[in-house]
Amino acid sequence: MMQRCKGAESAEPLQPGEGDAPGVSRRALLRAGLAGGLVAAIGGGCLSPSEEVEASESEYVLIIDLTKCAGCRACEEACNQRNHLPEEQSYIRILARGDEEDRWFLPVQCQHCHDAPCATVCPVDATYQHPSGVVLVNEEICVGCKYCIVACPYGARIYDEHKGVASKCWLCLDWVLGGGEPACVQACLKGARIFGKRTDSQIARLLASGRAQALHPEFGTEPSVLRYIFPET
Amino acid sequence: MAEHHWGWLIAIYLFLGGMGAGSFLVASIFELSGLRYKYDFCPTSLAGAGVSGPLILIGTVLLIFDLGAGMRQPWRIPLMFLNFSSVMTWGIWILSLFLPLCFVYAILELMHVQPGILAWLHQKQNILPRPLRIVPETLPYRRIKRIVCSVGCVFAVGTAVYTGVLLAVVQAVPFWNSPVLPVLFLVSATSTGIGLSFDLAATMAVPNLHERYGKMPIVHMTMIGLEVFLLALLMIVSLVKGGDAAESAKMILIGSQSVVFWVLVIGTGMIYPFTVSAYAYARHKHGLTTSLLAGAGIVVAGLFVRYLVVAAAIPLAL
Repeated sequence: MMQRCKGAESAEPLQPGEGDAPGVSRRALLRAGLAGGLVAAIGGGCLSPSEEVEASESEYVLIIDLTKCAGCRACEEACNQRNHLPEEQSYIRILARGDEEDRWFLPVQCQHCHDAPCATVCPVDATYQHPSGVVLVNEEICVGCKYCIVACPYGARIYDEHKGVASKCWLCLDWVLGGGEPACVQACLKGARIFGKRTDSQIARLLASGRAQALHPEFGTEPSVLRYIFPET
Repeated sequence: MAEHHWGWLIAIYLFLGGMGAGSFLVASIFELSGLRYKYDFCPTSLAGAGVSGPLILIGTVLLIFDLGAGMRQPWRIPLMFLNFSSVMTWGIWILSLFLPLCFVYAILELMHVQPGILAWLHQKQNILPRPLRIVPETLPYRRIKRIVCSVGCVFAVGTAVYTGVLLAVVQAVPFWNSPVLPVLFLVSATSTGIGLSFDLAATMAVPNLHERYGKMPIVHMTMIGLEVFLLALLMIVSLVKGGDAAESAKMILIGSQSVVFWVLVIGTGMIYPFTVSAYAYARHKHGLTTSLLAGAGIVVAGLFVRYLVVAAAIPLAL
């Protein structure tokens, strides 16, 4: 059951060519979300991380190879288009690192933490971890107090002025559950974004090699989906 | 980041919540210790009881105004009572229980000062059918207030501490992430409560008030001393922590917020009231204007302590 609830204005089904992922449409998600929202409203949240997601290992993994990322912002643009975000906002921030001669880029988005501070502080339990490991926001119950924005150590949450809610990357879960990939992965020109199930051979190999690491694991939030291949310094 | 999303509105909310709680505490201490009954009329209790409810109510309204979807669709707000892992939920519970107590205390205090109110109500209830005439001729004010104040003090401390814990649990802002913050906010709340209820409101009502309470300068000096100690501790802890916490402390001590800190918090809100109190204690002389200014200084410092803490929030570097 999913609770990614989009506002009515963004509840239209996927447009052909906008990803072409079969399976779960946004309308279906909205329906599921509304039901989830109702349950959450009555029962105080039906999919809180502690109750439903026991393993800190997510089903999906997104590895960003920073040795390949050129900072071209194609992922950011695709994400904005997918989520109808204004130009000045994005679920992905591209941070420049290193000096001029040795420049590299660090794309930061929701790390889908198992122990997500944004979920802990949310007074209405609008943020929760889906069984796949993806952290979602129930926009139908979010009050827009912005506590989650303040609490996220990755600065991954943004305030949607239009809807008055705090939203973030949801890994395009409708596409993913339909067998597709998130918009940012599809858009990456350099192939720096490697996405798949934890059990997929390439992902499993990179994880086993220890090259794909969590960003700032010392924050203690247990990022469950995002991993990075850092450039050697 | 954080400072863009939680700005002045939140700082004012934290300040008003703290000062409301502090005012209740001051009035309650006067009530429970018997100081309230030393003279015929105790303006401190009346002022403290009277302002606590409205201050907290205004703070809560500001918090609601700061909401996004919750402001547009208020039926979402009751959901904020549900997630007990959130400090904000604790706060909403504390405020919801404390606020009615504040107003009950204010009404009781007012009726105690003006017995005519109860007499008038008692008389006017004759227009009602006999079973609905529940207003008694007299009320055991002192006994009722003792219960209201005792319970209310727990919630007042809870409110003041909560405003600090709300920020202290945020690990993403290392400067806030310190147990010093709730203690500082509790002391500051009590200080602003004294400043508003005793030094400002009560002194305006009874100009020679300070002469009645000769030990008040010691209370002032102790509170200011504690506040300076806690502020220093917060800064030292942050500087020792290093990184972003140290940057926040430097922003306050020597950076872009240093004028606000040294002039409005330390100068106006600590050094000036401390000097006034020390002089008053040593010479047994109390100037009306200086007392009022000292009270105003303490209140101003309380507001800017909250402002600085919110404004100096530097998120963890990635």
